[in-house]
Amino acid sequence: MIELSGIRHTILDISALRIPFGTTSVIGPNGSGKTMLLKLLAGIFLPHSGTVRIDGVPPRKTETGWVNEFPDRNILFGTVIDEVASSLRFRHLPDRDVKITVEKLLDSMGISPLRGRPVCDLSGGEKVLVALAAALVHTPRVLVLDECDSHLDNYRARQVERIVQERAIPYVIRCTQQVESAIRSDHVIYLENGRVAYEGVPGEVFARLHGTPFYPLTMECGI
Amino acid sequence: MRIDLDAVRVVRDSWSVSATGTFTEGIHLISGDVGSGKTTLARVIAGLSPPTSGAIRREDITHPMISFQFPEHHVTGSTVSEECSSWGLDPTVILKQASLQEKAGLSPLRLSRGELKRLHLACVLSQEYDLLVLDEPFSSLDCKEKARACTTISGRARGITIIFTHEQSQFPRVDMLWEIVDGSLHCRGNLPDALRTWEHAPEIVRALIRRGKEPANLTRQDIREAACRT
Repeated sequence: MIELSGIRHTILDISALRIPFGTTSVIGPNGSGKTMLLKLLAGIFLPHSGTVRIDGVPPRKTETGWVNEFPDRNILFGTVIDEVASSLRFRHLPDRDVKITVEKLLDSMGISPLRGRPVCDLSGGEKVLVALAAALVHTPRVLVLDECDSHLDNYRARQVERIVQERAIPYVIRCTQQVESAIRSDHVIYLENGRVAYEGVPGEVFARLHGTPFYPLTMECGI
Repeated sequence: MRIDLDAVRVVRDSWSVSATGTFTEGIHLISGDVGSGKTTLARVIAGLSPPTSGAIRREDITHPMISFQFPEHHVTGSTVSEECSSWGLDPTVILKQASLQEKAGLSPLRLSRGELKRLHLACVLSQEYDLLVLDEPFSSLDCKEKARACTTISGRARGITIIFTHEQSQFPRVDMLWEIVDGSLHCRGNLPDALRTWEHAPEIVRALIRRGKEPANLTRQDIREAACRT
């Protein structure tokens, strides 16, 4: 269980929040604090006050994968292969093992043809896929994805969901504006003005959002 | 007012995208997979990049505009207010439109990505153009802002508007549907007929067509009306 307690950080004001195992979608208006919440969960920022614990451990002591909503801000290295291999190389793993792991991952994600490409030449969606591969390569315990589906076509977004699911990562927390895909999550958090307005299983949360633009059209149309 | 793409082709190593077709006044929607060449073609149509081969003819286009996929690539002002002024616009009006009055003094790069996109679109969509190319205009916008952007785009009275997007849930009213498949741009035609051959059709559109409830167009209202049809 991920537990947040007494969080006060910029716009965020969350007295208590528990995030169970599985995939959690964070939704809400622009500027409601979604990215800030994700950054606290990934350990990128420490809260001004309050605590975040992942199975009792602070995020910075937990293996975490992170994909930024700005695709260019994910990239450190010049080529795709160097970018994806970076976290394994920082651990001084043998070159051969790194190569095998990276090639297998690129292959499973259908992005092997990109391996030698300069990252700066990639499309926005391709950069997101590379960042996701770099986040997955060290098998994180927590995977935090900040609106990476906003750069992906439907086929790729579904593929990413499948790949992430297959890796059985205990906690996947994703911010999304694709409410139709949030229906498929285990848990949904709706943020508004830095506070958790609603949270729970998708059916419960979306029932509270009926009549708002955040209510999925498929539910409205009974499809 | 029209743009003709005559055997336009952009080649990079073993990758390429080709396009032949004519864009006349109205709203054109172009979909395509990640890496299919949407941004490349957007830049070529807007005149920012030359094609490797082929010709582009622009008739009566004197005032073009392109909105990049990444709003941060447009930023020139050091504050949100200055960013509005850099477009030759009154910050008071734009910031009210974008509901960003309280953030006027912040650096645009301190906004959330959705807020930055909202600011950028408010600047772009408040002016008239002969040609408006929008590369992924809805990415990062929340559902409410997507709906607002769709309404504004649907209301464009003149000029050629070309939207490159993989958006699946919210669309403006569209006159002509196109898609990039296997490295080539294909015109699927006018709506609603084009919906039947649209390979990138959202799942809800496919489901409605399967049930014999083809929507008249792609706005949420069109989808609702089709779904409620008996």
